Amino acid sequence: MPSVEFMGKTFNVDEDGFIDSYDNWCQEWVQWVKKEEGIDELNDEHQKVIDVLRDYYEKNGIAPMVRVLSKVTGFKLKHIYELFPSGPGKGACKMAGLPKPTGCV
Amino acid sequence: MAFVSSGYNPDKPMENRISDIGPKKYDEFYPPVIAKNKGTWLYHEYIQPGVYYHVAESGDKVFTVRVGGARLMSTTHIREICEIGEKHCDGYVRFTTRNNIEFMVDSEDKIRPLIEDLESRKFAGGSFKFPVGGTGAGITNIVHTQGWIHCHTPATDASGPVKATMDVLFDDFKDHRLPAHLRVSLACCLNMCGAVHCSDIAILGYHRKPPLLDHEYLDKMCEIPLAIAACPTAAIKPSKVEFDGQKVNSVAVKESRCMFCGNCYTMCPSMPLADTEGDGIVIMAGGKVSNRISAPKFSKVVVAFIPNEAPRWPKTTETIKKMVEVYANDANKYERLGEWAERIGWERFFEKCELPFTHHLIDDFRDPAYFTWRQTTQFKF
Repeated sequence: MPSVEFMGKTFNVDEDGFIDSYDNWCQEWVQWVKKEEGIDELNDEHQKVIDVLRDYYEKNGIAPMVRVLSKVTGFKLKHIYELFPSGPGKGACKMAGLPKPTGCV
Repeated sequence: MAFVSSGYNPDKPMENRISDIGPKKYDEFYPPVIAKNKGTWLYHEYIQPGVYYHVAESGDKVFTVRVGGARLMSTTHIREICEIGEKHCDGYVRFTTRNNIEFMVDSEDKIRPLIEDLESRKFAGGSFKFPVGGTGAGITNIVHTQGWIHCHTPATDASGPVKATMDVLFDDFKDHRLPAHLRVSLACCLNMCGAVHCSDIAILGYHRKPPLLDHEYLDKMCEIPLAIAACPTAAIKPSKVEFDGQKVNSVAVKESRCMFCGNCYTMCPSMPLADTEGDGIVIMAGGKVSNRISAPKFSKVVVAFIPNEAPRWPKTTETIKKMVEVYANDANKYERLGEWAERIGWERFFEKCELPFTHHLIDDFRDPAYFTWRQTTQFKF
């Protein structure tokens, strides 16, 4: 498993850059993904999406459906893409430390 | 090779980004005779297998030569297609919905040189690069999937069995001798990408063993509720497992309920189930999508299991060849394989095709299974 070192921390990641375990997530990881995803600046809206994702994952064991994410955060899908150019799966879930989306993507 | 930038700036990924432009409009690539006569075609006729012409109200004719394509092809091969297009068809060419290639010319004297050119081209191994055929009451290309070339859930290969099968059925690709057209499809797992569920003959990759559970990583890699909900027979439940002296969240699979569909592996990378001896091929038959005479039909399982026999899959191709021959000899004109089997009765189908009928073929999935059993005394001994 490849690993990345960033801001004094070491993260194990898979080939798509998702973190190996939800439990190893930390603020440094968010900064690392921000750099990887080419996001200029993290604002409260980014943080809100991450908080909602992590909160939902802890409660339910799955990532929320896009419609649920939209409804809870109040951000339309278009706005989520403005925040995370790679989208809610590859962008936001990666940053929130959730497992890589599966299925026929 | 050294890195060559296309102009994309990874530091500013959204700068100069073009998106949502969709595909090119189809009419940019019409041959002039197609563009001119669009929507005014009167009739069409076959000249020979693989070659036909359309006549328009204006009197214009367009002659089409259809050639087989391997679907998986290199840019070298596409360039050769382009070269033929440039040489004979003013640079126009199209692909069909079964991944054949069609060259169109606007006058009859251009057909012979085109066909001769196409048929003369062979790969170094000897196989035709552009065999003419695939029309009418014959067997055209096999709609197929990724197989071991690219996918992570297959139970069999795609390109390999397709090549083996088309080699066996090649004469029918170049002929119109069958009662009606016969569509063959392949899918390498029962996601059934493509057309296996609605084809006259379908080849389907199938597992015979339950998934392995990688408890160490399962909770980290997978969203456990998704894996549980992915199971059509509810064989999966959440469980706590002792691993390396620690209690970890994982799942348990009730093996007597598992029918090896592999859906859970699709959702959860820690539940792999591919197996060299266990995996193989199921043959289905009798599906169609057209509304001609009878309504569209699903294909039905007729052979429960044939092992994977790379690289030529001899048992699979032999079984298919046998079904095609019996159908060709026995069915009425215009009768699709499924219509024929339903007319003579499936018990006769199995008898004529000399296929063993095993208990695997009897539907046992939920309430609708009941409707596939025989609730009448009408049958033949």
